[in-house]
Amino acid sequence: MSLIATSGLTKRYAGGITALDGLTVEIEPGIIGLVGSNGAGKSTLLKILLGLLEPTAGSATIFDLPVATRGIEIRELVGYMPEHDCLPPDMTATDIVSHLALISGLPRAAARERTAEVLRHVGLYEERYRAIGGYSTGMKQRVKLAQALVHDPRLLLLDEPTNGLDPAGRDEMLELILRTGKEFGIAVIVASHLLGEIERVCDHLVAIENGKLLRSAPLGSFTERTGTLAVEVEEGREALVERLTARGLRVAVDGPAILVDLVDEAPFDIVRDTVVELGLALVRMEQRRHRLEDLFRDQPAAAAVAAAATARPTDDGPPASAR
Amino acid sequence: MSALPPVTRAGNIYDLGYRRYEGPRLGRAHAIRSLLVHSFRTTYGIGRSGRAKAAPFIFGAMAILPAVIIVGGLTIAARFGFDRQLDDTDLIGFDKYFSAITAIILLFCAAQAPELFGRDQRHGVLALYFARALRRSDYALGRLLGFMLAVLVLILIPVFILFVGRVLLSTDIAGSFRANAGNIPPVLAQAAVIAALYGGLSMTISAYTPRRAYATAGIIALFVLPGIVAGIVISIGSSAVGTALVLISPNTILDGTNALLFGGSLPEEYFFISVPTWAFLVAAVVEVAVVVGLILRRFARITI
Repeated sequence: MSLIATSGLTKRYAGGITALDGLTVEIEPGIIGLVGSNGAGKSTLLKILLGLLEPTAGSATIFDLPVATRGIEIRELVGYMPEHDCLPPDMTATDIVSHLALISGLPRAAARERTAEVLRHVGLYEERYRAIGGYSTGMKQRVKLAQALVHDPRLLLLDEPTNGLDPAGRDEMLELILRTGKEFGIAVIVASHLLGEIERVCDHLVAIENGKLLRSAPLGSFTERTGTLAVEVEEGREALVERLTARGLRVAVDGPAILVDLVDEAPFDIVRDTVVELGLALVRMEQRRHRLEDLFRDQPAAAAVAAAATARPTDDGPPASAR
Repeated sequence: MSALPPVTRAGNIYDLGYRRYEGPRLGRAHAIRSLLVHSFRTTYGIGRSGRAKAAPFIFGAMAILPAVIIVGGLTIAARFGFDRQLDDTDLIGFDKYFSAITAIILLFCAAQAPELFGRDQRHGVLALYFARALRRSDYALGRLLGFMLAVLVLILIPVFILFVGRVLLSTDIAGSFRANAGNIPPVLAQAAVIAALYGGLSMTISAYTPRRAYATAGIIALFVLPGIVAGIVISIGSSAVGTALVLISPNTILDGTNALLFGGSLPEEYFFISVPTWAFLVAAVVEVAVVVGLILRRFARITI
């Protein structure tokens, strides 16, 4: 069973802005990072999955339930933490969370009990009896997470959960997310534009850009070793490049480093021997890993095309039905 | 407050673990009921700060005060031996009491309706409601009915005091109860009309106007302006337009239903009216239906 499956999901807002552009992706349960820059369509995707927004075209399912027709059943199984402020300042954390538990269908006694449990879980103690208006951003984020958990969902949709938090707050929030996903067995989708954070908690990444799927793969494959050997020497770089090219290696220069294409293990020995022959001072020799940021840098052409499509939505495809 | 450092606390949470919820989920009807109760409590500031309680309780006191004074006056009069005469006089009837506190009910609506729909929109709480297992119309109806119920209670408490005072102070309690019992159905009916009409109209304004100050001003304008315009039109001499306006303006509708339900006649200023009094009840029902439709439409379309 797939957790989420979308097919040709498209959302055009009035005014011709295309937030999602034919997004087709299938996601398995786990902790999933939904990454993309601001305006890539992350929030729009989450809202469509919740039935808060109607897609312009395409379809989506959660737990094999179609979003378009089974919204209420889906929302019983899903907890949502919005990106923006969503808590009434004059209510206490206990009051708003237990009220929302009632709205989710829990009987009064169960709502009260689970409210106490989830607030303890997110790390709110005595302060839960105080009005939210006096809370720090970190405490508000915790309440937002608690209300998403209170009805024991099978899937959490978290929209920028570390927004506005200081480094310590971010660490604690990420730790909470990790624990929720790993120990409670709740599937989690974390939307964020901060790749460094997502990397720490997720086991699968879905990268979108301009409403299009860039890549969906396990986290490991994003950061796996690449076929590049980076070599740095103190001086005599030109001579080294020349000699290595002469020995049949494909070589490129990237700032202070020389990048050697790795097809097999041979280049390691060749580089070592060449450096010795030339009598150069070797500073560094390392196999490069893909960094998450490369995801977006490696696709300049695709991104440019998508950006052009967003800017002039009527140029290709059917015109946006903006009213 | 615990003085434990955060690290130790985190360790404590860790040990408590997470428990699944295996119990029943009561569905949409339960959600609507919960919203209704929550709206009622929020309107009166129950479970909220002292500041939130100020407005509803001040208006509540103002609505009750005349009833208390009347009953108090009756008590003193009875002490001095005027009870026989009091049985025969009609100091202030239920129908007149309604007209007397209309302005207070209006202020209560103008002050408190924005606390519900307006507050949810201002603080983004709608996203939390709509992400749960209910329809948008469930949310809107739960909130609306909760507020109407709050207005109904505001109207009925002073009337109840008046009723009890009249009956208990009478020389013949059983007889007085029988005499006054006939008033109960029209009193309840008129109170329901006021609550539905005022509650519905003020909630509509607040649904479309998230900003508190604008909503309050809008509600007062809606209740007051049509009556003024009707007066002007009538003084100029157009009775057809005047009649239409009187059947739209909430205050004049209530005058009409008051006359219908208590078997009285319309006040003198309605001399130009040629429609029967039941037309006012129809107008009230139509207006409430329109208002409910507008509220449902608002929340079906709102983007969050």
